[in-house]
Amino acid sequence: MSELAESDGETSAVLRLDGVGKEYRLYDSPRDRLSALITGHSKHRSHWALRDVGLELHRGQCMGVVGDNGAGKSSLLKLIAGTLQPTTGRLTRHGRVTAILELGAGFHPDFSGRQNLYFGGSLIGISHEEMTKLERDILDFSELGDAIDRPVKTYSSGMTVRLAFALVTAVEPDLLIIDEALAVGDQNFQKKCVQRIDAFRRNGCTILFCSHSLYHVRHLCNVALWLDGGRVKALGDTESVLSSYEVHVRSQDTSSPPEQVIAVEQEGNTLEVPAGKLPAARAPVTAKLVCVEVANLGEGTPRLLESTDLVVTVKAQLGTGEQPNFIIMLEQSRGVGITSIATHAEGIAPHHLGDGVWQTTLTFPELPLHSGDYVVSAYLLDAHGLVVYEEWMRCVEFKLVAPSLTPGIVRLPHRWS
Amino acid sequence: MLLDEVRALWAARGLVWVLAKREISARHAGSVAGAVWAYLPPLLTVAAYYLVFDVVFAMRLGEQAPVRSVGAYLIVGSLPWMAFCDSISRATNSLIDAGSLLQKNPLPPALFPARTVVASAVIFGPLIALMTLAYAPMHRFSPALVALLPLALLQVVLCWLLGYLLAVCAAALRDVTAIVGFVLSVGIYLSPVLFPASMFPAAWAWVLWLNPMAPLVGGYQSVVLSGQWPQWSTWIVTLAWITLTALLLDKVVKRSQEQLVDWL
Repeated sequence: MSELAESDGETSAVLRLDGVGKEYRLYDSPRDRLSALITGHSKHRSHWALRDVGLELHRGQCMGVVGDNGAGKSSLLKLIAGTLQPTTGRLTRHGRVTAILELGAGFHPDFSGRQNLYFGGSLIGISHEEMTKLERDILDFSELGDAIDRPVKTYSSGMTVRLAFALVTAVEPDLLIIDEALAVGDQNFQKKCVQRIDAFRRNGCTILFCSHSLYHVRHLCNVALWLDGGRVKALGDTESVLSSYEVHVRSQDTSSPPEQVIAVEQEGNTLEVPAGKLPAARAPVTAKLVCVEVANLGEGTPRLLESTDLVVTVKAQLGTGEQPNFIIMLEQSRGVGITSIATHAEGIAPHHLGDGVWQTTLTFPELPLHSGDYVVSAYLLDAHGLVVYEEWMRCVEFKLVAPSLTPGIVRLPHRWS
Repeated sequence: MLLDEVRALWAARGLVWVLAKREISARHAGSVAGAVWAYLPPLLTVAAYYLVFDVVFAMRLGEQAPVRSVGAYLIVGSLPWMAFCDSISRATNSLIDAGSLLQKNPLPPALFPARTVVASAVIFGPLIALMTLAYAPMHRFSPALVALLPLALLQVVLCWLLGYLLAVCAAALRDVTAIVGFVLSVGIYLSPVLFPASMFPAAWAWVLWLNPMAPLVGGYQSVVLSGQWPQWSTWIVTLAWITLTALLLDKVVKRSQEQLVDWL
């Protein structure tokens, strides 16, 4: 395979789909299934999970797959991973394909981590001899230590996932398929995972990445695919695909009831954190947001912004001594996002206040928005802006009163002539 | 189509061995005796036959039987039959059991019936060899013993084809597992395991044709007990069964291939 890729140079496609479709045959009962098997005449209803999907990925490209639930993302990844067969069309892959679909699913609970490692390796094409060479690296990466010789049933879910991730990524693939797998283990391990995937990408590995985290898709991918009802809705450069997808997502959001909001008392400020989106209890939390404050807020619900400038201060605590990055996002309370500003995107370093506490203040002078309710969200990221340590979605809500005679959201800088 | 399956299986032959070893150790993982448990039940059955029929009751078979002692006759017939039952019943479940593996890894489904058949062969192969060593001195290690190799090979091929066929059917309809279990428990009466084929009334001899293992059991008996080459009908009928099963399997694989993983 590698010879083939070399002979075609950079132009050869690592992955190519031509008119690929996947039909699920739904039988009313298993009896119909058996009679279809025996007689060849089947009484079934068809459900096409994918229809007429065509795409091509080259070496070093990274494609993000987005779409609503049931749009066919998982079917597409399984087809490409080879666990499903396409009903129509052609699918060609070159080189080693690794899929991070469900980590640790094939482990046997009664066998030790090491035994599972060798067995799991043989399933993904790593022979016993190769594994003896790779074992050291895998053990180091998974940080399991002596636990490797204990039965897997004694492992915590985090340990299982760490071992599984270390195993599947032990050999650098030509095509890596990732399905929502970045949220594994603790923060420190997540960071290692993201770094390893990023290293693969820089080495020229082609990546297919399916995630609901548009931030990661934006950050990692140079191509994006939007699936809708099993068909390709948009395929092209990440920004243009994602921006039209976001419009679609927001149009759905407004039709669903707003999330329930619960209040959290913190440092005298009332932070409003959506239920179910409380900072996830991923132990051990070494990096966390401490507070998000908006200056000059008065009375009322939501509280009134009493100055013309919007000043947002975020503070975070990091155990490791690394410099964090922040993203601050401003949205309409019920409606569209207005802007998000990232420290790493603008080369801004937050101030270190000592003891691992970092702070940054973002000012929007003469906030050019029309009257309305607005909400601020904050993200805490690692030094490279790759790993999202924590996100406080819609944590401060405020009301803005700005006299304006004409409708709109924002006063853009303008000039008459 | 079936050829593709065989090719995929051959390409992954190393994996079959790994899977088979793991299946044997997984069956008894956590127990102190471990894999010894796999060998004990057939050994104890054989020991019981020997003690009850040859030592305690010293029963004798009639003139036409290949051997006079009932115990020896039962042991030589029942070990290959037990191997057949073990591999077919486990192979029928093999795809359902491997559901989560097949959904996560791009592996050929043919691997899983193959691994159970190989695992059964690893358990029963040595037992059949021991049994041969025990009874071959009766005919001073006749050269016909060579025929044991093709007999065993045909049995493995037959078990894989039939097991795979039943496994796909069981994936479509779970009841197949229970039906197979029932047919296997009745099947021993449609075989020369308990009674020599010659004792079957002429009007009923045809029922032996319904059992694909009947000719193979007859073959083992004539080779091990009397040192005679198996009859031609042994090879012909077995090959006919293998061909028939392969044709059916080919059809079933073609019809199910694309959806099989969804059924598990």
